[in-house]
Amino acid sequence: MPKWGMVIDLNKCTGCGECVTACKVELNVPVVGPEESAKGRTILCMDILSTYEGEFPEVKMRHMPRPCFHCEHPPCTKVCPVRATYKNDEGIVAQIYPQCIGCRYCQVACPYTVKHFNWTKPEWPEERCEALNPDVSVRPEGVVEKCTFCVHRLQKAKEQAAVDGRDLREGDYVPACVESCPTKAMYFGDLDNPKHKVSQLKKSHRAFRLMEDLGTEPKVYYLSEVE
Amino acid sequence: MKIKQVILIGLLLPASLVFAYLNGRDGGSQPIAYNHNMHVQENDMECLDCHVYAEDGARASIPNVELCRDCHEEASTESEAEAALLSYVNDNRRIPWRQINVVPDYAYFSHRRHVKLGELDCVACHGEVGEMVKPVSEPFQEVTMDWCMDCHEARNVSNDCYACHR
Ligand code: HEC
Ligand code: HEC
Ligand code: HEC
Ligand code: HEC
Ligand code: HEC
Repeated sequence: MPKWGMVIDLNKCTGCGECVTACKVELNVPVVGPEESAKGRTILCMDILSTYEGEFPEVKMRHMPRPCFHCEHPPCTKVCPVRATYKNDEGIVAQIYPQCIGCRYCQVACPYTVKHFNWTKPEWPEERCEALNPDVSVRPEGVVEKCTFCVHRLQKAKEQAAVDGRDLREGDYVPACVESCPTKAMYFGDLDNPKHKVSQLKKSHRAFRLMEDLGTEPKVYYLSEVE
Repeated sequence: MKIKQVILIGLLLPASLVFAYLNGRDGGSQPIAYNHNMHVQENDMECLDCHVYAEDGARASIPNVELCRDCHEEASTESEAEAALLSYVNDNRRIPWRQINVVPDYAYFSHRRHVKLGELDCVACHGEVGEMVKPVSEPFQEVTMDWCMDCHEARNVSNDCYACHR
């Protein structure tokens, strides 16, 4: 069984936000109005955390793209009363939308705040409706949404590999954010397969994960910046 | 209150009877009284001649005027149904077929996976459509999750939620 994971090289990330946009389009993430947004109800399945260090004029900005970390020990799945969220055999933390009752326990349990509740019926500007991604469902109001590691791409890639009569190869299955990155700062693959780039990079001395002390074991690694 | 209900039923009942009669007479829930049997049995057409992506695509596809035109440029029968078809063909209007078998957007169903890789016959899921003289108006098998899962279990195929849900 593969164990899907991601490595993000912060040395290469410029904080351009291309991954954020690609994700929003790929996953049919609704745009919420300014009022909802002011209440903190913006949904971003991929977000960039920016921090400022130092004092003017010596300010240094740091960026950290943050998808769902698909933890090996996810706190969110343990609190779900209906098993709408669980970790599957390939390590992806799933969110089964029609199963979700919208209790939001998982959202609260997530230490990385990557789960989002959709408070309103999803809406798009008229011209966008035609262009919604047919491979991804439009979630109904009142469920928790999250990054799925673009599992719909995995479903298709597996089928294509089967048609071609071969195993899944590195690069067959890559989420939209990784694909979109103009500086190639993001890597994706099987963390357990020594041939895959991610499994090599995760052993780098620059590799770290967020809040490692929690024991959640995220499957998204960062490579720290070199000063 | 009572009177109103009686009046309502009095109005709706004849209306629905008329509707049922008209419905039975032509295409039912479909715009044209399409006849599978006449094409498949009597004229030896293959399913894939019309549902061209049923083997290589996720959706089988329902054919429309571009394809019908190949054989129906002008009337070859006296049938009302063919006359109806010709008006679509001549005006180059799309026939608004209603899709009967539907999987919701949150589940992934692919014909290629089942027909090509699973080597399943159309009949396994759709019944003897080729012998139908009336348009398909209801699914042969109601599309439910249990239906998908029962077959998967019997054939040792994954029933992980994320095999289908998206
Ligand atoms: C494993 C079961 C299964 C098999 C085998 C199967 N189908 Fe289907 N078919 C379905 C389901 C489920 C849907 C609804 C799909 C959707 O909504 O995307 C469907 C939808 C369709 C549709 C209408 C929507 C579309 O996909 O364009 C057509 C036409 C169709 N099937 C034809 C065929 C033909 C022809 C074959 C044989 C070559 C076949 N099917 C084999 C289950 C099956
Ligand atoms: C390869 C040729 C071919 C194609 C393509 C074709 N048909 Fe036909 N169709 C026939 C033949 C042959 C008949 C029988 C005519 C006869 O008996 O003279 C027929 C008859 C019909 C009739 C009359 C049925 C009746 O009840 O009398 C209808 C309606 C019809 N076709 C609809 C369609 C539609 C809709 C399409 C496109 C989706 C289509 N056909 C595509 C060959 C074709
Ligand atoms: C001449 C073209 C033609 C051929 C050949 C043909 N079909 Fe169809 N099929 C249609 C048309 C047109 C419709 C839409 C009208 C209807 O629902 O009957 C349709 C509808 C269907 C549907 C219902 C789709 C849905 O869910 O709305 C199924 C299932 C189907 N066909 C299966 C088959 C199978 C199986 C075969 C081979 C045995 C076959 N068809 C051969 C033209 C064709
Ligand atoms: C009649 C039996 C049958 C039915 C009904 C059926 N399937 Fe399948 N399905 C199969 C078989 C057999 C395979 C494996 C095909 C292969 O060898 O790749 C499969 C494979 C799949 C896969 C790929 C699984 C994987 O391992 O990645 C998906 C997704 C899928 N089916 C979805 C559905 C959905 C959704 C439905 C219901 C709408 C459905 N199936 C109904 C027989 C069926
Ligand atoms: C083989 C494919 C498949 C698998 C595996 C699968 N589902 Fe589904 N699921 C479907 C389809 C297709 C529908 C839509 C059925 C319908 O329209 O009634 C559905 C609908 C649902 C619904 C909507 C309610 C209903 O029954 O209509 C829920 C809830 C759900 N699934 C939960 C799950 C959970 C939880 C799992 C994992 C334990 C799972 N599903 C696994 C195919 C699948």
